[in-house]
Amino acid sequence: MGKLSDALAVLDKPAVLAAVQEGIEAGTDPLQLVEEARLGLEAVGREFDKGNYFLMELLRAAQIFKDAVALLTPKIKERYGSAASRGTVVIGTVAGDVHDLGKSIVRDLLQCNGFEVIDLGVDVPAARFVEAIRQHKPKVVGMSALLSAAVTQVGRTVEAIEEAGLRDEVKIIVGGGIVGEVKRHTLRVDHATTNANEGISVILDWFGREQA
Amino acid sequence: MMREELSRYERTEAAWRLQEADRVPVAPLNCYINAYRGGISIREMFREPEKLIEATIRARDILGYGDQEDPNITTLDHLSFLGKSGWDRVTLHWRIWDEFPPAGNIPSFYERVMMEDYDDVMTRGFATLLFNRQISPDVFARSVDEFLYDEFEFPRRYAAAWRRFVEEQGVPLVMGGRATIPFELVLYYRGFSQLAQDIAEQPEKVKAMCEFVLEHEIINALQQATIMGAGEVPGAERIFFQAGVVGPPYVSPRVFEEFVWPTLKKGVDMIVSRGYKAHVHMDGDLTPVLPILKHITDGLPPGKVLLDFEKTDMKAAKQVLGDRVCLHGNVPAVLLCYGTPAEVDEHCRKLIADCAEGGGFILSTECETPWDARPENLRAMVASAQKYGRHASWRGTDMREGVQRILEETRRGLRPPTEEEVSRARARWLFGKNAEKMIKYAPWSFVLTKLMWKKGEEPWAS
Repeated sequence: MGKLSDALAVLDKPAVLAAVQEGIEAGTDPLQLVEEARLGLEAVGREFDKGNYFLMELLRAAQIFKDAVALLTPKIKERYGSAASRGTVVIGTVAGDVHDLGKSIVRDLLQCNGFEVIDLGVDVPAARFVEAIRQHKPKVVGMSALLSAAVTQVGRTVEAIEEAGLRDEVKIIVGGGIVGEVKRHTLRVDHATTNANEGISVILDWFGREQA
Repeated sequence: MMREELSRYERTEAAWRLQEADRVPVAPLNCYINAYRGGISIREMFREPEKLIEATIRARDILGYGDQEDPNITTLDHLSFLGKSGWDRVTLHWRIWDEFPPAGNIPSFYERVMMEDYDDVMTRGFATLLFNRQISPDVFARSVDEFLYDEFEFPRRYAAAWRRFVEEQGVPLVMGGRATIPFELVLYYRGFSQLAQDIAEQPEKVKAMCEFVLEHEIINALQQATIMGAGEVPGAERIFFQAGVVGPPYVSPRVFEEFVWPTLKKGVDMIVSRGYKAHVHMDGDLTPVLPILKHITDGLPPGKVLLDFEKTDMKAAKQVLGDRVCLHGNVPAVLLCYGTPAEVDEHCRKLIADCAEGGGFILSTECETPWDARPENLRAMVASAQKYGRHASWRGTDMREGVQRILEETRRGLRPPTEEEVSRARARWLFGKNAEKMIKYAPWSFVLTKLMWKKGEEPWAS
């Protein structure tokens, strides 16, 4: 790993931004700098998995990464027109549930990993998930839900996607609190987790497999 | 004359004092589920304490007879404007449903950045947020009489209802007052994402704000407990000092130690030094910070602190803390909603085996019982304490070790906040550095309020 990724791995924002600036001035390919920053983000994810970093650090890493990418975006546009997306993910907190935090962390981490994320917000009715799938054609749909009552809502949303004939078009991942502890077969989803980083790995894996 | 069975209050008190009793006390934190199973609406639960008491009595027939009941101080906080502990409707964007089944989580709040400037709030106080139309439009929804009723009359009506419940049912209260751990309050005001940035970029301000909110938070809880009958009503002397996201997996042990722990410990010290007891409720998995929590009783008399855990490894907690604090927890919410009575029974058996030896354990839920938990699972949990929780060493007790004696002892040690203390703590919280002037020049202090406000944020502007 280089200076940029090392700085991100230890969450040193001034050092990250300085390394990006240095790279820009040296004429380094901006996408190469993004990639290097992403390596730092991956290192943060590994530390999270090992239990050395916690959700707040994961979020902080995503914030720093986004700040770095904000510096690089004009350069990317200048050189490439626009950055290529890894794919589209539709994400939202299910109807009746207004918890934003878990969903936002996953959204930020997905964006950091190069995905285009359609964030439907909180308290999202099943019909809006269906509509968003039709409109944006994502490969993955992420549903966030915290408390026990939200389990029913996840079920209703999955049902609506099935009834719309779209279930085979998407992988569904559900995350957050109690929902992540319920067996995924009970929820009829492809993956259920309480761990944001695990969710990202699973999604990366799905996209990797489909691309392979 | 020896007795074979203890009263519920004696049993829970024995656990607080790390003594083996006749059996392990069992007390699921039943909150909304009591209203749901007792057949009242959420609206009634919040507004009509007498109905809530009746519902709780009916719910006990359905859910089992636990050794204490949660008097739902959340409902008290929710109506109050000044008597807040981070959960009230004024500073947070709340949504409460009226009826069961709720259309969403109960209660729900939308995370947003309420507090823009730490220094400004510490200088001019929280009144600048509370009386800001943009931030707290609800402040203006109540008439003068409604405000005075919610603030001063309702808590007394509420306390009278619960006092009657305790006297008639012989069931102590989980708590008499409630406070929020300061770091969590700052989190409510800033949001998790913004706080993550603050911790990295302006750590000293986060720490200063934790200190700033502590005094009002604790004094307010002690006042609540006093109104609820601390020293007279079993359990009302216990202060529920709570937080949802102050430890792993949300924040690191370093952040816990540096930002959470100092005012958590100070709060516990304030509670206990005034003769109350600290029921410290922390969600998340605190296992990595158990060595820090070991110091929670430093400098304090024994039997005054309880740690109530959600995801923490209880066996590890017993090993590290078992000789100094009572442990409380942690039958999983998911098991109560989706498990079977046999699974609940097995989980409780293991928890009791891990934690009950030597006393100092109350079998309870993770955080609170979900409103939609299965009654048969709750009953299995209550029954498990009878089945597995008998202490072999128990030889009966002397009749003199009764409820009245514990209450007398508690009463002698209590130092409730005086009216002046409450006023000053509240004034400092509301008006920051202008508090003394506001008190000194009352009732003319309304002029100061006008002068203190910045252009554009005045509550009187249309």
